[in-house]
Amino acid sequence: MLEEFTTGFGMALRWDTFMMMGAGLFGGMLVGALPGFTTLLAMAILLPISFFLDPIVGIPFLLGVYKGGIFGGSIPAILVSMPGTGAAVATSRDGYKLTKQGKSRKALDMALVSSVFGDLSSDMFTILMIFPIAFLVMQFGPPELFAVLLLSLVIIAVTSGNNPLKALAMMMLGLWLSFIGTDPLGGVERFTFGIFDLKSGIPLLPMLIGVFAIPEIANVVMNSGKVQQLASVMGERLKFSEFRRCFKTICRSTVIGTGIGIIPGLGQVVAAMMGYSAAKNASDHPETFGEGELEGIAAAEAANNAVNGPTMVPLLTLGIPGDNVTAILLGAFVAQGLRPGPQLFEEQGATVFAILIAMVFANIMFLVIGYLSIPFFSRLVQIKTSILVPVVIMFAFAGTYVFRSDNFDLLMLVVFGVFGLIARAGKFDVMPMVMGFILGPPMEYAFGQTMAMGNGATMAFMFEERIGAICVLLAIPVIGLMLWRRMQKVSEG
Amino acid sequence: MFTSFIKKVALAGGLATAAIATTAAADYPEKPITMVIPFGAGGSHDLNARVITSTIPTYLEQAMIVRLTPGAGGQKGTQEVANAPADGYTLLFTHNYVDMLQQYVENLPYDPINDFIPIARVNYAPIGVVVRADSPFQTFEDLIAAAGEKPGAIRMSHSGNWGALFVPAAQVMQAHDVSLNLVPYQGGGPAMQALLSGDADVTMGFPSTLSAQIEAGEVRLLATAGPERLYDDVPTFAEVGVEGDVGFMHRVLLAPAGTPDDVVATLTQAFADLIEDRTFSRMMGRLNETIELLDGPTYQAMREEQSAAYKTLVEQLTSQ
Repeated sequence: MLEEFTTGFGMALRWDTFMMMGAGLFGGMLVGALPGFTTLLAMAILLPISFFLDPIVGIPFLLGVYKGGIFGGSIPAILVSMPGTGAAVATSRDGYKLTKQGKSRKALDMALVSSVFGDLSSDMFTILMIFPIAFLVMQFGPPELFAVLLLSLVIIAVTSGNNPLKALAMMMLGLWLSFIGTDPLGGVERFTFGIFDLKSGIPLLPMLIGVFAIPEIANVVMNSGKVQQLASVMGERLKFSEFRRCFKTICRSTVIGTGIGIIPGLGQVVAAMMGYSAAKNASDHPETFGEGELEGIAAAEAANNAVNGPTMVPLLTLGIPGDNVTAILLGAFVAQGLRPGPQLFEEQGATVFAILIAMVFANIMFLVIGYLSIPFFSRLVQIKTSILVPVVIMFAFAGTYVFRSDNFDLLMLVVFGVFGLIARAGKFDVMPMVMGFILGPPMEYAFGQTMAMGNGATMAFMFEERIGAICVLLAIPVIGLMLWRRMQKVSEG
Repeated sequence: MFTSFIKKVALAGGLATAAIATTAAADYPEKPITMVIPFGAGGSHDLNARVITSTIPTYLEQAMIVRLTPGAGGQKGTQEVANAPADGYTLLFTHNYVDMLQQYVENLPYDPINDFIPIARVNYAPIGVVVRADSPFQTFEDLIAAAGEKPGAIRMSHSGNWGALFVPAAQVMQAHDVSLNLVPYQGGGPAMQALLSGDADVTMGFPSTLSAQIEAGEVRLLATAGPERLYDDVPTFAEVGVEGDVGFMHRVLLAPAGTPDDVVATLTQAFADLIEDRTFSRMMGRLNETIELLDGPTYQAMREEQSAAYKTLVEQLTSQ
């Protein structure tokens, strides 16, 4: 194994690998920064290009697009409060506040540094622990996934705002909104009122842009007499002392993110929120979270990037893609004559290590590419609002539309924009709603699967085969109450 | 999107000169053709389509652009094409389960048989039934016997209700009058993972995804779809008493009904040329996909058979 590792290390050190990886990282970042264009789509389009490249060039190229794209998503989230994916929601919370305080450059720097740190550590951990992780992945099935998702929702609800009851109410609303459409298991239509457009459910992207970006745009427009620019300065770069202050948080989030990456089906959204909640809970000053706290960005970004390493494990060790990103990578592997699966390490060990090592280098390279690009992005906020606002509005609508070219999505954007304004007036936090909406469907699916596995005797099935999931379920009220009391104590004191 | 844009620009330049030379004889296609895929990015249809659209412009002298329109289990994209003008500029790339089965389990805003005509079947994938290597089921008969003894006790993981694994499983159950506990997963990958982790006792999969597991000795194939053996020592569905067009996922290109005959002829010819193209076959081979082209009329006959078979299947399953 060690010999293959060192051979792989040598194979990865090629100038063309670095060239293509750099191109992938930069291109991915640009695509990820445009709302409506997903990294996934970029990868699918670029896949045929990788067919004609050497495996140690083509696959790192696609990985570069992927990694660049995740960071790219946090750029509009921080600068104009427009998260294009669920994973960037937690980042936009403190990021946009920092932009308004004239610290957008610091915010982007922090997002970059913590992303790279989280990703790098989880990649290295994955390389070292690939077989133990492969074993762990197998221990999670639908009942465990359901229990962990429910736990995550409870944690988000009780830690997100000052008023857990309001947060809980918004989360319930989000869960209900996620029920609209065709029931994912039985195929029955729910709350669609016979409207065909509602049959596929409410789309996520218009909701995200609507509730997060539209109220901010409205805010700027209503103060147009006073606000000439979103921020007069893009501010200083991140200081090392600030990085050191957040270092503990970054490490904590990296551990959380890596752990969540091991559980199949959870993903970046849960990781970002859990990292954020944990940092807020551990902080001496939780009231600064959501008001422009650098630590909040660090917590969310380290966690959502740390998911990436472990999600590669089922693909490499079993040949099983867990989501669409890994499915595209599977396509790229197969096209190169590499057959991911139990025998991959025996037959092609050196090549696989070369790709994994290239992944590690990609992170370091991205630190440089990102650091050099951030000044160009953060200059955006200095554009006069009379120009910036129309451009942002155009991006909000165009981004919503390009996703699947559907007028209904534009209507939804407006509806959620108005809803976001009303919620803000009533001091309701929209984040628990969005989280309920995003995590509701996978939780419902896992619940339905568990019921199906039990085949009419679910309780018996759970107690005979799934004690672990039962333990998590029983712990949920205890953890929820503990966090609730702590949050109340902090808000009183 | 970017590659097709570049191609469009390049083609536009070339065609501008060509158009002057040939004047206005049989003009189709005179602008890029949109291929709607009613599924999400990164799935097998998406990947197949990327290969088709990057090679077919050579024969159509126009770009073909992929548009992903997921939603409502494929209905959103399908409806879009059903409502599009029948001029050959909007085509649908779908598969037989969405195309022919869905009409019996949902209220569709279109009529699959009367609103569409097939242009080409590009390829198909035969399914295989697999168990873990340590499973007590040595043969397909063992599995059926056990399912007969304890109805619903054997868990089979599949990729979603009325999907590409669910339907063949239901057809096997129908053929042998047994009952398995069908547990849905979000895709074929997670369904296979459920088998390996022990959450499921049996599952199905396509050769491209199964071969790594089979070679590693992690799983055992009990039977494969179709009348001919894919592996020398594994019986076919026909041999184990499951007859007919069962367990094939056909990837097909459809056009709105009423598309002019000369347009259909141009497209049919383009696909006939495409399968001779070496770049095309090499790229498809690299994706582990076969090329098994059938023309529209041949596939239309299969569609009608599928329609009838799925109708009885759904009636039987839902009456229970």
